[in-house]
Amino acid sequence: MRFLLAPSPEAVERSKPPVRVFLAFTLVLVAAAVANRALQSGLLPAQIESFYLGPGGSEPVGATALWEEVHAGAFLYGALWLMLGSLLAASPVQPRVRGALLAVGVGAALLDLFGPLLLVKAGAPAALRALGFLLASGALVFATAVAWVRYGRNGSRPNA
Amino acid sequence: MRDPRLRPFRGALLAFLALMLVLLASGAVLFVRKLGLTPEGVRRFYLGAPEIFAPPRSALGLLEVAVPHLVAMPLAVFVTVHLVAMAGLVRRRAFSVLSSLTFAGVLVGIAAGFVIRFLWPGLAWLKIVAFLSVEGMVLFWLGLLAAMLLPARRGALDGGAPCPPEGGDRPGPEPIGDAACAHRAGGPGQGRRPAALRRPPAPRRPTSRPRDPGPPHRPG
Repeated sequence: MRFLLAPSPEAVERSKPPVRVFLAFTLVLVAAAVANRALQSGLLPAQIESFYLGPGGSEPVGATALWEEVHAGAFLYGALWLMLGSLLAASPVQPRVRGALLAVGVGAALLDLFGPLLLVKAGAPAALRALGFLLASGALVFATAVAWVRYGRNGSRPNA
Repeated sequence: MRDPRLRPFRGALLAFLALMLVLLASGAVLFVRKLGLTPEGVRRFYLGAPEIFAPPRSALGLLEVAVPHLVAMPLAVFVTVHLVAMAGLVRRRAFSVLSSLTFAGVLVGIAAGFVIRFLWPGLAWLKIVAFLSVEGMVLFWLGLLAAMLLPARRGALDGGAPCPPEGGDRPGPEPIGDAACAHRAGGPGQGRRPAALRRPPAPRRPTSRPRDPGPPHRPG
């Protein structure tokens, strides 16, 4: 972030290839996460409900396993949004777009993380988890695309 | 914010802060649920408990937990500490000691599982101490990160508390980081202090030719 605070045009140009490789890996990660989720608990509310509550709600997943999911996911989302948010902040992106993207991304990530706990412990609809994952993945892909296109333009002056 | 240059990064820092708090909270819940906060609970977790058919942890099982933690925890601490370092909120020596303690706590916490299982079960209390200290210290760093995002006090920008005096000997321990002092021309951020906050130029010493003393001073 120190580099991103006061980037010189030459340094920004040099940093473009590794930044784009990182962004490409982010897209691969999101694709893998979607595939993993589809194979594990499913992407549709009915599949999610069946996975976490068991057939007919008879075998709900244990609280420890649910918290482990929150624990692992929080690190992943936190690291990704710090990196993507910093790259967007160092790119000529409208602050409103950046702020909205971060707000939607983090809100959806929290919904995705706590969705199973809410489903099992509070009887919340499984659609929350499905919607949270869809929005969280979509926001990550959109932020990655914006960073890909905008990073390095106009000398990448931070745009308050 | 303490450093106006960080303003565009506010959203990213808030996102990181929120998700790190979730990470800490979920870690605490998992520790309490799995190990408990007593040495007996920690011993039962690692050495097994025949009465509930819980087997002792295998080396492979311990490694499966240790490896991701050896990546994630130092990385999370490093990023948090690195961000706080830019704010100049902590004196250099305190920063060095506290960040070293945090990393040491992470290492001890991860290693303690192996020690309890294979070397010395009597060290179960060390696992609890390491866990509580890491949680406390990471919370402390996150608190400083949150303080970074608060509006700056005028004193902090005015060469007050955190910034060492320009060009002179430092009277006390210097603060860590450069962000709070980045308004100084030629500083690490090459920024400039706002005109209203700039110090007036120091009076020059007489060089070779004495200045005209002007009209004589008349008392009264």
